Amino acid sequence: MNETLNLLVGMAMGLNLLALGSGRLPTLIRTVALQGMTLGIMPLLIEPRFEWPVVLVSFATVVGKGWIIPSLLRRAMRTANIDREIEPFIGFVPSLLLGAGGTIAAVALSRALPLLPEHAGSMLVPGALASVLTGFVLLIGRTKAISQVCGYLILENGIYLFGLLLIQATPLLVDAGILLDVTVGVFVIGIIVDRIQRAFDSLDTRKLTVLRE
Amino acid sequence: MTAGFLLSVGAVAAVAATAAGRRLPRIWLSLVSLACAAALAASVRVLAGAGEWEWRSTYALAGQPVHLRLDALSALFLALLSFIGCSGAVFSREYWSDEHKPDSAPRGRVAWISMLICMALVLTVSNGLHFLIAWELFAVCGYFLLTLDRGNGDARAAGWLYLTCSHAGTLALFAFFSLLAVHTGSWDLGPMRDRPELAPLFWLALFGFGVKAGLFPLHVWLPSAHANAPSHVSALMSGVAIKMGVYGVLRFSGWLPTPQAAGWVLVALGASGALFGIVFGFVQNDLKRLLAYCSVENVGIIFVGLGGALIALRHGEAPWGILLLAGALLHVWNHGAFKSLLFLGSGSLMHATGTRELSRMGGLWRRMPWSTVLFALGAVAVAGLPPLNGFVSEWLVYLGLFQAAATRTVAAWAAVPAAIALATAGAVALAAFAKASSVAFLGAPRSDAAHNAHECGPLMRGPMLAIAALCILLAFLPSLLWPALMRAASDWNPALTAVALPAAMPALALIQATLAAIAAVAVLLLVSRATKTGVRRGPTWDCGFAAPTPRIQYTGGSFSGIVEGWFGWLLQPQRFASDPRGTLPTSSVRVARIPETVLERIVGPVAAFVTGASAIARRLQHGRLQAYLLYILAGVFLVGITVFLGVFL
Amino acid sequence: MIIALDFVLRLALWIALAPLLPGIINKVKAWVAGRRGPPVLQLYFDLARLWRKGVVLSDLASPAFLAASAVGWVAIAAATTLLPVGPAGASLSFQGDFILLIYCLALARFCTVWAAMETGSAFEGMGSAREVSYAVLAEATLIAAVLALCVQTRSLSLPGMLAPATGAGAILLAGGLFIVLLAENCRVPFDDPNTHLELTMIHEVMVLDHSGPPLAVILHGASMKLLLFALLLTQAVLPTGHLAPAWAGVAIGAGVLAVTVGVGLVESLLARFAFRRVPLLLTMAFLLCLFALLIAWKGGAA
Repeated sequence: MNETLNLLVGMAMGLNLLALGSGRLPTLIRTVALQGMTLGIMPLLIEPRFEWPVVLVSFATVVGKGWIIPSLLRRAMRTANIDREIEPFIGFVPSLLLGAGGTIAAVALSRALPLLPEHAGSMLVPGALASVLTGFVLLIGRTKAISQVCGYLILENGIYLFGLLLIQATPLLVDAGILLDVTVGVFVIGIIVDRIQRAFDSLDTRKLTVLRE
Repeated sequence: MTAGFLLSVGAVAAVAATAAGRRLPRIWLSLVSLACAAALAASVRVLAGAGEWEWRSTYALAGQPVHLRLDALSALFLALLSFIGCSGAVFSREYWSDEHKPDSAPRGRVAWISMLICMALVLTVSNGLHFLIAWELFAVCGYFLLTLDRGNGDARAAGWLYLTCSHAGTLALFAFFSLLAVHTGSWDLGPMRDRPELAPLFWLALFGFGVKAGLFPLHVWLPSAHANAPSHVSALMSGVAIKMGVYGVLRFSGWLPTPQAAGWVLVALGASGALFGIVFGFVQNDLKRLLAYCSVENVGIIFVGLGGALIALRHGEAPWGILLLAGALLHVWNHGAFKSLLFLGSGSLMHATGTRELSRMGGLWRRMPWSTVLFALGAVAVAGLPPLNGFVSEWLVYLGLFQAAATRTVAAWAAVPAAIALATAGAVALAAFAKASSVAFLGAPRSDAAHNAHECGPLMRGPMLAIAALCILLAFLPSLLWPALMRAASDWNPALTAVALPAAMPALALIQATLAAIAAVAVLLLVSRATKTGVRRGPTWDCGFAAPTPRIQYTGGSFSGIVEGWFGWLLQPQRFASDPRGTLPTSSVRVARIPETVLERIVGPVAAFVTGASAIARRLQHGRLQAYLLYILAGVFLVGITVFLGVFL
Repeated sequence: MIIALDFVLRLALWIALAPLLPGIINKVKAWVAGRRGPPVLQLYFDLARLWRKGVVLSDLASPAFLAASAVGWVAIAAATTLLPVGPAGASLSFQGDFILLIYCLALARFCTVWAAMETGSAFEGMGSAREVSYAVLAEATLIAAVLALCVQTRSLSLPGMLAPATGAGAILLAGGLFIVLLAENCRVPFDDPNTHLELTMIHEVMVLDHSGPPLAVILHGASMKLLLFALLLTQAVLPTGHLAPAWAGVAIGAGVLAVTVGVGLVESLLARFAFRRVPLLLTMAFLLCLFALLIAWKGGAA
């Protein structure tokens, strides 16, 4: 069971890098969706018994992150008529190298952290750290609002991975809360994106600097 | 004939050559050759196992008894010194001859032999004070050689930079040797590995010698010095003089204990220096600057080997440590050989075309077939390609790194990044030398100077041929050299027990030789086939472009453009361009320049700040007697307060 | 004597089989596009035809132009003798042979670039510049892959490295090596071997001025290089060391075929990338191999 879980976390880490390297918005959204679905399956693997709430939350995560949120984003992209190319502040290759360095550092760091013995062999902590870092790189390094939303989603995925560590202590509370947060957040952002688009005729967050006064 | 006898013959000949240098060039040349031959013979004797040569005299110089020593480690460097020193001397008879440079040629001859003597002294003296004196004289001789052409402003500026940096290094060495003398109570040098309190001194030595070796962030003087010096001097500086820095680090990391982190720092500096150095080199359009930066790369490779050996010593894992050290030592020779070959080749190019700019050369193979072949040979060797000598030493270093990685111990954390950095640096080196050799020698001549170039004469060709032969020899006979390398390694640190020749070495040499032979046969076959089917000459097709001019050939700058873009953050290229405008544009200019980033962005501003601060401090010095008396009063007052505070608190 | 005969026979087999691969790729492409396509043996016919043809040399080319083609071919052939083929092993193997293999390929690259620059053509200069620049990333990836294998197996020569099963990192390694294969052999999405738009090409543009026997040598060398990479990839990923010799041979053959078909499929389904995206893809390949290395290292320790 642990092996499969580690494999899934490894996949999520790989998707982080793919997200950093993808140059087009649809690819980025698809990557984030795939990562969300990967994460959604994990509670089923961690919880040894078959329990309805777990299945429910897991199902909700897969549907929410894998289908609802991406389709919201795609719709926002369509209605706002956004150019599909991503314009990076930090180039693709540097952000990829940054993400890879971060991943390696996360793995090295998690070996040094004082973890519970049952989490020692697990990749959850490095996966969580790496995802949070990737989210930050995307948030800092991209100009378009949609790609920043994707960065935010990846960051949330990292926190979700941390939440999975607590699944035995507080079953699914964290996960459900995050899921709710994210859905509301993306709704709000979808609306804001539309507003920004109407106000500025563009979704370039660099232009928001005129609001600083 | 013992090593001592040979060395004294060499010394006498060298001193006589100093006297003969001004007026009697032919006698000078014979004496230099004699001295070099004697030194070479002595070092070969020591390397071949005749034992270490040591000479203590009761005669005191500067209050210290003279103590000379030639062990296998210094003999390794002395052999290189004498070979390149002699070749360069022969080369200079035509390249910097009395007819061409009547005022500076005599001076150059004296400075040349003085430099050789000083370097030989650096390698042999075994007394801290004498070492410092020899080191300083060696640096000053280097300055005089570098600025032989006094009329050249660039050379003067490069000379000043060299002298400044060199003295910054010497300052650290002063501190190093004085502290060493304080701790041990004597200036005498020798193995003192059992005194762990001496370990921190390593950092001073690393700085002092690192400046001279051109270790990456300390290399700031190197590109302009090697580029602006006369080419035979560049060859000596790059092939041998920077190796004195390597020798210093080797010697004192072997004789003294080293700090825990020393090996790691050396590997990190070496690996990053190898990569960054060659990236800087690749984007240069000045042939000699390109070669100079490539020296930074090769010094990086040597330091990776040395650092790896230090790490291996710490972990008691000699097998791969000794491979790395052997690779580093062999690379000292290899780099000395192919880099001086390339610098002499660039001298031949400058002699023929009068320029160092790659974009003004082109198509030189037709006029200068010898130089082309020899330069190409050097380029293949320096790019580390089989079947030449550069490959053998890089192979040893790689093998050591891979063995270290396979242990999966903590040493792998150094070996894996270093191996990847070296591989990347190797690929960039290939790109750099593909660019240098092809833009200079192939295609059509880009300027009149290139069109009217002429081949160099026998006195320039001879030394280049000799060094090229050395490159080939070092490639095919590394197994003969193995015992010598092992002797040098055990003189470095006996804890690193000698290992038998890796079985792969003779196999590798055999494969290299076979590869060369088969390649020759294949060339003959293809040429004969082509002549059989018929060879027709025509203009370059170039996609049917009807009016080609030499100016539309791909330039060196465009060749390295892609990599320049990748490393823009490091290189910070500057461009001044006025684009063509209008339907019939009259003129447009485009100037690209790659600054020496470390010098101009880091050292420069810091130096400017120091100069500014000193200028403010200088206002205290104005010549008014009354004010000076006030200073004295203030000083006395301050001392009084200090004493007062010291007594009552 | 036997050793020499063995060596020659193996080399002959390499030389004879290599031109099959481009034929298979073209067949796959034709099949995907619904065409009949050229025969699988087309490259053999082309080589035979070129070998008989006369040579047109540029006025600017030196004698080294012909020599470079020959030396480049020899360098690739030397690399093939170092690569073990399953249970049959390699003609030559010693500690550190993989370094010689990588540097032989580098020598071949140097020769191609040299010959391209001989002609003084701007287009060929452009291709050379791209070739040497992208090779920087490809070589870093290749060394990372070899390091991964070395750490995994603790072996320092290719036969030891390639025989045992690779661990969890095999998929990553396969991905990284496949991208390097595409880049080093100038296939889509890095280069388009079929286009004749010089501005967009890497390898093809470097051989614009080659003709007759030298071109045949270059084409044949390229096909050997493709086979070399396909074999390297297959053996790095498939645990052939655990199979009976016959089955191992079959598995390797199937693997090479799969790789070749994969190249054909990629070529049919993908368009060539814009040049500014090429470093990104190669960096990804490098990271794949790097992570395979880390998994081999840490996975082995655990």
